[in-house]
Amino acid sequence: MTYIGAEVIISPLGRTTAENWAAIRANQSGISLVKRAGFDKSDLYLSKMLDLVDDYKFEKLLIDALSTVAQEIDPAILTSDRTIVIISSTKGELDKNIHDQFGKSISALISRFLLANQPVVLSNACISGVLAINAAGNFIDAQIYDHAVVIGCDLISDFVIYGFQSLFAVSDQPCAPFDTLRNGITMGEGCGAVVVSQTKNIFRNGALQLLSGTSANDANHISGPSRTGEGLFRSVKKTLENNQLTAEDIDFVCAHGTATVFNDEMESIAFDRLGLSDVHLSSLKGYFGHTLGAAGVIETAASMQMMRHGLLVKSLGYRESGTSRKLNVIAENAASQPETILKTASGFGGGNASLIIRSL
Amino acid sequence: MNGEIVSTRHMSSADSWFKQIYKEQEFVYPKFYKMDALSQAGFLASELIKRSNQGLTSEYKDDEIAMLFANQSSSADTDMRFMHSYEHNGAPSPSLFVYTLPNIVLGEIAIRNKWYGENMFAVLPKFAPGFFVDYGKILLSTGAKALLCGWLGVLGDDIEVFVFLVESESDNGSDFNVENLTDLAQLGHP
Repeated sequence: MTYIGAEVIISPLGRTTAENWAAIRANQSGISLVKRAGFDKSDLYLSKMLDLVDDYKFEKLLIDALSTVAQEIDPAILTSDRTIVIISSTKGELDKNIHDQFGKSISALISRFLLANQPVVLSNACISGVLAINAAGNFIDAQIYDHAVVIGCDLISDFVIYGFQSLFAVSDQPCAPFDTLRNGITMGEGCGAVVVSQTKNIFRNGALQLLSGTSANDANHISGPSRTGEGLFRSVKKTLENNQLTAEDIDFVCAHGTATVFNDEMESIAFDRLGLSDVHLSSLKGYFGHTLGAAGVIETAASMQMMRHGLLVKSLGYRESGTSRKLNVIAENAASQPETILKTASGFGGGNASLIIRSL
Repeated sequence: MNGEIVSTRHMSSADSWFKQIYKEQEFVYPKFYKMDALSQAGFLASELIKRSNQGLTSEYKDDEIAMLFANQSSSADTDMRFMHSYEHNGAPSPSLFVYTLPNIVLGEIAIRNKWYGENMFAVLPKFAPGFFVDYGKILLSTGAKALLCGWLGVLGDDIEVFVFLVESESDNGSDFNVENLTDLAQLGHP
């Protein structure tokens, strides 16, 4: 069995997992109007860590996340040669060194935490975080490593803001996933971490079970989602089948839900094809914004908090169904003890990934 | 390609090295001209591999070929061009922005071949045979029957492209292990 725990969230909602959970359960959003943030000096809604003023922000967040992880697990794990650190990110410390966006930060982690193995950076657009957790599970199932620390981290920069603006993909309001009035993403920044291990008792606060996940490409378009949801459909179908589960076994879907018209529509089609239309579903983008390479880890960590606290939080920003296929989007917080949850992600390059977590 | 020289760069040509190869090899895929250099590199290498492994596209189901790629510089070459577009050319270029992720090359190859398999792009400080062997074997034990793997370094004139095919069953080739992969990778750097 593969275990997952020690979840960490650092976001505009708080510097600790507990602060983030308190904010989410109170349905607070990290999104605020940031003056002159856009390319045209327009004001823009962002989920930005306004109090993060360090020089090397990416490195600072990685160090904070790993320091917190160290307190949540058996301290000998971090320096073990049976442990791998996997980092998911799209642009790393791009603002500091565009030629080598990860090198300095990774070197700092190795020397500061005495890591035995060279960390691996996975950079697969918006599925990076889910892919990284899947990779961690795979490394452990294959007994190549015994433990993996997965850290997802991405920052808001002019680079990504201007890029998404150039694609007309940015919402003029706080994003509203799956809602009829949704009109784009709200960019977010932050850091998440989880530990995946073959050993249950390394976790100070208990563990959940990680089932092996998969990815699948849409083979359709580099920046637009498949209209039939083919890649997402295939990834979830494979993940369910690999674990001998069916749609009926899923109690909650933590969807990607970026709040662009086409992404959310695609997800509704894929989930409908999968027989998941009636399953409770949320997007957490209304709380954290779209944190790109960090999203999969932050949202998995938040889902784990929901499982631990027995509360499914509402999909913030959702009022009225805006997809052609029915989804059971959670409109109000609901006490629930989900046994089995599905986390999905979809992104540029046609990537789709999914994973399943079970309570023990 | 398999130890044979299939194309030689003409430094005097007005075309980029990748465009020279595209033309010389008479590939026909107009989307090639829209791609950034990283995607062009992956496209050309994968097409050349397909030519010398004719069964590659017919012997496997559409989700049985996984892709495992890595490099050191992510999409930095295109990142700089995109940054130039908004700092010096007046507006951020959407056609450049969509290539500012290293995994886009995997999307381009997937679209070209209608491959729905697993994709992974890693950023590593240097070519790491152990990473490809470890994760490649994982992919081969969890559903994939073939792997297209590659190290694609593109940063200005600094170009390192090494793409290789791994099959779970094959009549030729050598064992997929760190030693053989290290030897293969060094062929280009005698």
